Amino acid sequence: MPISGRRSFAKRIAIGSFAVALLTLLCYRAHIDFSSVIPLYTLLVVLQSLTGDFKSSAIISVLSAGCMDFFFTEPLFSWRIAHPMNALALVAFIVTALVITSLVSRVRKEATSVTLQKDRLDRLYQLSQQLLALDPEETHGEKFLEPFQRFFGVTAISLFDADTAELHSLGNSQCNLAERTREAYLRGVDLNGIDSPAQVRCLRVRGRVTGAIGFEGLEDGSETSGSLAALTTTFVERTHAFRKASVAAADTQTAVYRSALLDALAHEFKTPLATILAAAGGLREAGPLAMEQQEMADTVENEAARLGSLTSRLLRTARLDSEEIRPRIELIDLTSLIAHIAGQHSARSEERRIVVTYPREALDVQADPALLRLTLNQLIENACKYSKPGSTVTVEIEPQTDAVVVKVSNNGSSIPSDERSRIFERFYRGADAKRSTSGSGLGLFVARKIALAHGGALDLEARDRPNDSVTFCLKLPNTKDEAQYVLTAK
Amino acid sequence: MSSPQSSVLVVDDEPALRKALRTSLIASGFAVEEARDGEEALLSARRHSFDLVLLDINMPGINGIDACRRMRGLSPHAGIIMVTVRDFEDDKVRALEAGADDYVTKPFKLRELTARLRAVLRRTRVDGAVQLSVLHAGKLKIDLDRRLLWRSDEEVHLSPTEFDLLAFMMKNVGAPLTHVKLLRTIWGPEYGGELEYLRSYVRMLRRKIEDDPARPEYIQTEPWVGYRFRNPSDPDSPPADEED
Repeated sequence: MPISGRRSFAKRIAIGSFAVALLTLLCYRAHIDFSSVIPLYTLLVVLQSLTGDFKSSAIISVLSAGCMDFFFTEPLFSWRIAHPMNALALVAFIVTALVITSLVSRVRKEATSVTLQKDRLDRLYQLSQQLLALDPEETHGEKFLEPFQRFFGVTAISLFDADTAELHSLGNSQCNLAERTREAYLRGVDLNGIDSPAQVRCLRVRGRVTGAIGFEGLEDGSETSGSLAALTTTFVERTHAFRKASVAAADTQTAVYRSALLDALAHEFKTPLATILAAAGGLREAGPLAMEQQEMADTVENEAARLGSLTSRLLRTARLDSEEIRPRIELIDLTSLIAHIAGQHSARSEERRIVVTYPREALDVQADPALLRLTLNQLIENACKYSKPGSTVTVEIEPQTDAVVVKVSNNGSSIPSDERSRIFERFYRGADAKRSTSGSGLGLFVARKIALAHGGALDLEARDRPNDSVTFCLKLPNTKDEAQYVLTAK
Repeated sequence: MSSPQSSVLVVDDEPALRKALRTSLIASGFAVEEARDGEEALLSARRHSFDLVLLDINMPGINGIDACRRMRGLSPHAGIIMVTVRDFEDDKVRALEAGADDYVTKPFKLRELTARLRAVLRRTRVDGAVQLSVLHAGKLKIDLDRRLLWRSDEEVHLSPTEFDLLAFMMKNVGAPLTHVKLLRTIWGPEYGGELEYLRSYVRMLRRKIEDDPARPEYIQTEPWVGYRFRNPSDPDSPPADEED
């Protein structure tokens, strides 16, 4: 029993004893007989038990019985009892007094507990009101913990959020609460030290531990900490959901802006390009030009036309990025398509050699010709763009039992391992790519989307070949049944 | 060179492009009028009759498709070529459905444009003239009455549907033919969405008439629109669609 409890116990005994002495004195002076004093003592014991605990009330009951025996039963001023009926009455008094005392103290204990619970509920309610009022973005850190301290008077509090791996603490801990909180999360078990003032609870969402919260100096720790942990879980989850939603909204917004921007740019570019082409063509038609003038007019025309097709491709890629891809399947001779595209790129980038390894027989695939051309163009162009001048780009066509695989490799450009998984992400551009070449960051994303829409795949080959080479594998299913194609790739 | 009488109405809201087209088309032998938008174009068409109309699809005021439809009502015999800027949308199909004869996508080379203009001009002039029963295109010769096809003087056997499809395409040589138009003409008015039918017949036809079915010379795919039959020996026939 704590010191304060012991003091109030002694006080209750003293007051009770004084009341017993006073009643005895008054009844003795008034010459009230034994049968009449019993109800008076019973009343006193009841009154005493209303304010005191069972133990003090029991002591007062025994004291009352003793006084009655000494002052009111025959022979007077002696502990002896002459009549058995008097002895029986005293025993009945003691039993009655003890039963009443026990009942009253039980009722009072329950009332106290209800009051405590109501108080705890009130505080929990106030706490949740306070937490709800917080901006969801601030539901972490000290701002989040401060109301716990205010409403529950804890001396120290720590919160570990596994989502951000952040540990927040408030107050002065005597027992290294922060470390205990983190430890509870790592072990996935609550720490309820009986001899320790700290209570640490794991935060659980559908059985998964998402963090931990620790309290030090929490009243009724074992009962209250559970409710507080449940409340914390709700709010931390709310923050996570809010954070995810903001990131997703920002992503969508960026994609919409970017698509709209590309669209507008492509449109705005096309009319001036059409004007340049019309003017360059007109120049040639208008009059006899000298050889050099003719050549220059041709150059203007060809380059403007090239810029036009680049713009178209950018626009098309942006559209494919934002829309669901629905391939219009046809039977395509893959070998001649690749030969054609490789020829175009060879002519354009004279410093790189493009070597195509063909299978023994011509290979037909079922694909959308425009989309397949876009994908192959993207892969071969990337291979040229990200390789050293003078190097070789190889294209291999491998027929497999259920698929046709096209492998496009270059050398002189390795992809760092941390970027390998990210290069197919939309708008992702590798650190090297950002430095050295231009691009929208959409090409590979859209190329993969096209491959998936055909029921195929586009991946980076698991292990780079020697000499820093990078190989992309485009896999197209080798099926004659057009209905098997998965038309939704979004 | 086209005949000096061929008149073109250039409709575009961009003054620089109108000016460049005007100069260049005059240099190529056309008589050129300009209009800033659909309203002005319709006014001009009421005053004069033009052989050809080059109509931008994206214009302020009434849009190109509506202008095309009304223009078609005003001058049923003019060749209308729509200028589109998007090449992945249904603009082209909508333009053809609104009565356009062909389309070009910005930016286009002048030669490509004049070839289209001349091809459309020729088609619109042939319309109404006596239809020949034997047509030639490259190595192909088709006898529409006897329902026979020869390739380099060697007879090619075609199923009835294949023959109808090829005959229709050859009769409309150079013109873009939408999937829907082909399906409704060959299979019947209740058809329209059965692209797989059309694709498999085109695939079979290509195997029979093309040297290299993967790089067709005659039956060109018009992405997202349909097909276009090309006569390889016609200097004005547009080259195979080379997308970059």
